[in-house]
Amino acid sequence: MNATLVFVLIAFVLLLCFAYLATRRTKDLPDVDRALMAIRALDIEAFRNLVDPEEEAFLRSRLPVAEFKRIKRERARAALSYVRALSSVSLQFARLGDAARRSPDPVIAASGKQIADSAIYLRLRALDAGAQLMLAAAFPSLDPLRLRSLLQQYDRASYLLLQHNLLTRNHSRAA
Amino acid sequence: MAHWYKFALYYLWIAPHVLLAVVAVFIYTRRLHKNFPIFFFYTLFETLEFLLLFSAYMAGHATGVWYRYVFIATLAGSTALRFGIIQEIFNNIFCDYPRLEKLAATSLRWITGFLVVAAIVSAFYSSGTAPDNLMLGVKVLERSVTIIQVGLMLFLFLFTRMFGLSWRSFVFGIGLGFAIFASTMLAAWTLQLTALNEHSKQLLDLLPTGSYHVSVVVWLGYLLAAEQPVGAATYPVPEMDRWSGELGRHLQ
Repeated sequence: MNATLVFVLIAFVLLLCFAYLATRRTKDLPDVDRALMAIRALDIEAFRNLVDPEEEAFLRSRLPVAEFKRIKRERARAALSYVRALSSVSLQFARLGDAARRSPDPVIAASGKQIADSAIYLRLRALDAGAQLMLAAAFPSLDPLRLRSLLQQYDRASYLLLQHNLLTRNHSRAA
Repeated sequence: MAHWYKFALYYLWIAPHVLLAVVAVFIYTRRLHKNFPIFFFYTLFETLEFLLLFSAYMAGHATGVWYRYVFIATLAGSTALRFGIIQEIFNNIFCDYPRLEKLAATSLRWITGFLVVAAIVSAFYSSGTAPDNLMLGVKVLERSVTIIQVGLMLFLFLFTRMFGLSWRSFVFGIGLGFAIFASTMLAAWTLQLTALNEHSKQLLDLLPTGSYHVSVVVWLGYLLAAEQPVGAATYPVPEMDRWSGELGRHLQ
């Protein structure tokens, strides 16, 4: 096993990766059913409670330190699964927005661009939130999480998509 | 030299460049050169390079010193242009997403730094054989540059996939063509640094031109294929109603 073999193997794996990405390209379409399932699985109110700094402050003041740390770890892990679901939803939103952005109709294209922009920002916020939650699970004594912007961004992206759906429906009827 | 080998050698040297000239003509007639000036220049550069080197080869100057210098100079030009094309692909993908562009640019800088270090380390620990030190240096340098280029292409593909961005058909074609070529060249430059017998060397000479042929066919294919929307821009109304109902409940 020498360096030559390693480089040749890397090159071969890379070729396979690019071939896979090329074949996935046509399959990575916005998946309505998958996104709907992800949205249904999301209990946003439960997630809001899990990451509510006031609730965390309340638990901190009422529970012994060891108990608080244990509960905070569990809450952080639970919130992490919500963030993963949100991240998955944001990917579907982004794909839908990106596809709509190419519409020949300038109004739908503009709406698609707004959705894609918003979904990308939501995904960025979700990635950031995921990192924060992992940190919180590892170090429960850290300051409470500030994930309000993630929830706001989810609301905004959902609202834009709702508007886009109405717009598309009106255009389809007009056509 | 076996008859089939001679045929394969000439075919794989000539055919990709003829097709590349066709790509250049299509780019110009479809006015894509305004959006992809570096790629357009690259196709012209490669075609002229082929004409120069092939003429010299046919005139019997393939073993001359100047042929080698022209080969190295044009190789350096092609390599530099490929970096320009990667930048062109990057600009084309992210131009509509300024917020993501900043993150992508920062990530790209870090990835480039990491790849440069990896390339230097690989060059430092490489040992090889070549007719002279100049060619050995060129091969090691080219392999290092290929590591950087293939790494950047992989980053672009994965980063856009992570954020659900699709590439326009022709941009994807350019990227895929380069990715195939760069991956194969990584293996080709590495194998060229090893001590091979004459027969293996001859076979290895077909690898770069063969992969280049595949890349040019990919460029031409994506150029000729009509721009298909990657995803449906609009869904049938019942689907949209399902979306609206679900989203509406969440926003309440």
